[in-house]
Amino acid sequence: MIQRTVTIVPEDGLHARPASRFVETANEYDSEVTVAPVDGDPVNAASMLAVTGLNAPSGEDVVITADGPDEEAALEALEAVLTTPE
Amino acid sequence: MTFRVSGVAVTPLSGLGTVRWYRTGGIPGAESVEADDPETELERFEEARGSAREELQRERERTAERVGREEAAVFDAHLQFLDDPQITDSIEEAIEEGDAAEVGVDRAFGDAIDQFEGMDGMMAERADDMRDIRDRLRRLLAGDERIDLSAVPEGTVILAERLTPSDTAQLDPARVAGFATVTGGRTSHAAIFARSLGIPAVVGVGEELLEIEEQTTVAIDAEKDAVIVDPDEGTRERVSATRDVEIRTEPVETTDGTEIEVAANVGTSAELQGATRQGADGIGLYRTEFLFLDREQPPDEDEQLEVYTDALDAFPDGRIVVRTLDIGGDKPIPYLDADEEENPFLGDRGIRRSLDADADLFESQLRALLRAATEGAGRLSVMFPLVTTVEELDGALDTVDQVATTLEKEGIPYAVPEIGVMIETPAAVTMAEELAERVDFFSIGTNDLAQYVMAASRESDAVADLHDPLHPAVLRSIRRSVEAAHDTDAWIGMCGEMAGDPDLTELLVGLGLDELSMSAVTIPTVKAEVTATESETARELADRVLSASTKAEVHEYLEGE
Repeated sequence: MIQRTVTIVPEDGLHARPASRFVETANEYDSEVTVAPVDGDPVNAASMLAVTGLNAPSGEDVVITADGPDEEAALEALEAVLTTPE
Repeated sequence: MTFRVSGVAVTPLSGLGTVRWYRTGGIPGAESVEADDPETELERFEEARGSAREELQRERERTAERVGREEAAVFDAHLQFLDDPQITDSIEEAIEEGDAAEVGVDRAFGDAIDQFEGMDGMMAERADDMRDIRDRLRRLLAGDERIDLSAVPEGTVILAERLTPSDTAQLDPARVAGFATVTGGRTSHAAIFARSLGIPAVVGVGEELLEIEEQTTVAIDAEKDAVIVDPDEGTRERVSATRDVEIRTEPVETTDGTEIEVAANVGTSAELQGATRQGADGIGLYRTEFLFLDREQPPDEDEQLEVYTDALDAFPDGRIVVRTLDIGGDKPIPYLDADEEENPFLGDRGIRRSLDADADLFESQLRALLRAATEGAGRLSVMFPLVTTVEELDGALDTVDQVATTLEKEGIPYAVPEIGVMIETPAAVTMAEELAERVDFFSIGTNDLAQYVMAASRESDAVADLHDPLHPAVLRSIRRSVEAAHDTDAWIGMCGEMAGDPDLTELLVGLGLDELSMSAVTIPTVKAEVTATESETARELADRVLSASTKAEVHEYLEGE
């Protein structure tokens, strides 16, 4: 299991298109992936409902955790989504 | 027994046909559903979800094909939520605890609706998407496969509680003789669609509509704003006659050979098809606001490029006049900080914002337009809204130059399109000569021109009589603009409601307008009027009408021809 803290770059935060891309990416990997606010409970990164429910704005830190055979690749890809401006 | 129910006719067309109800309701309360064993309930849920997926994919494809890719994107979101693990987990949990699939669906989507309603702005609108998906699943769980709107027999009148954008996108004007809905108004999505596709439609009828039975013969009566059940012979003849206007796809000219371009006003790529169908020569007003509304961020350059190119490809032999973003305090857009203003129609809007607060958006829109000008098949023209000063026009023209220079440097293919200004204000009319020297064309927006010349709001019923382009002050403003344009060899069109009134076609031709642009549905009638007009007679009519000092005299001269 690996974990990384990432600052959200897209202007919209984890909403709309960035959230949609984030969820799509999480679904592409076999590893279990969660995302959490720095001081909050993790939610399923493969759920659009859960991810948008975090209501995480641009500039905020989130903790991404991946556990599984392709955890390294999953984290890389998800970090790329969160650090790419729209 | 013949009877009628009243509503609002949203197109000038009437129609006659046989009723098919498009029912989306009839879902029993979840509590009344008795749960089978969990295994069976789980199977029922999976089956409903599978059918929902198929329906959504079918609707997405059909919408992308008929309407446009942007409009189809909503189905992608629905598909994503349909398979959302948090939602499906919650439904499966409920079922395992002994609940019926219906209860699980209601609870899971109920939570999702609560979540989105608790959020700000655009996310709150997601709650409606959740309701749509829930209702779809509930309908499928009840075993109700919806009638296929695109495959109804010819001569069908669709009756429904309401029609969503995806429903209307399935309607085939060749088969559907009309539709009527319980809810909705003149500006509802279904209404806009009906106008662009040329389908007779009466909306906002209310609960009375529900009394009309399946398979009865009804008339959708635009003249009476009503749905008439079992109409008598006279009504049948009257409503059937109104659809028989020949559609002319080729350009038309007056009896003495003056060609008048008859074009369509559109706001979304969805309406392009309706415009082609009604025989439009091109697009005389492409409003770009809809591209920017109902979303959380502006469309980027590439997205716009695609939309504008699609429009140009829809009219390979025609001209597409795109109006740059015309936004003000009355149409707030969440990502623009347009302050609410005391009087938005006299405030920061149109070209004023494009040169200042929205300069970045203006630039990216122009980049997309200049690129589309070489990529799309048709001819592109670009016009600026609400120009009141020469400085504003010069500023906008400078921006076009800068954008062209940058594209050149970047090695990106582009072309500089025809440039024009909208004539909507007394200031633009007064400065028409100076403006005309700087552009290729004018387009008169008569709704705003009447509002600003007469100082009478479009929204106020109390001054509706003043807000009328047939006041001599407005007519003289039009004449002055035409003369200024023609003195510098610029062409001049009209894209307000007035242009689509067939009773005024002769007057407008007589005034010297080169192009008339209107709602697609009135194009066949106006084209027919043009072919029956003789230029010299029209000019004499215009001279007479322009000599009037009162609106009453204007009417007198118009009717006394």
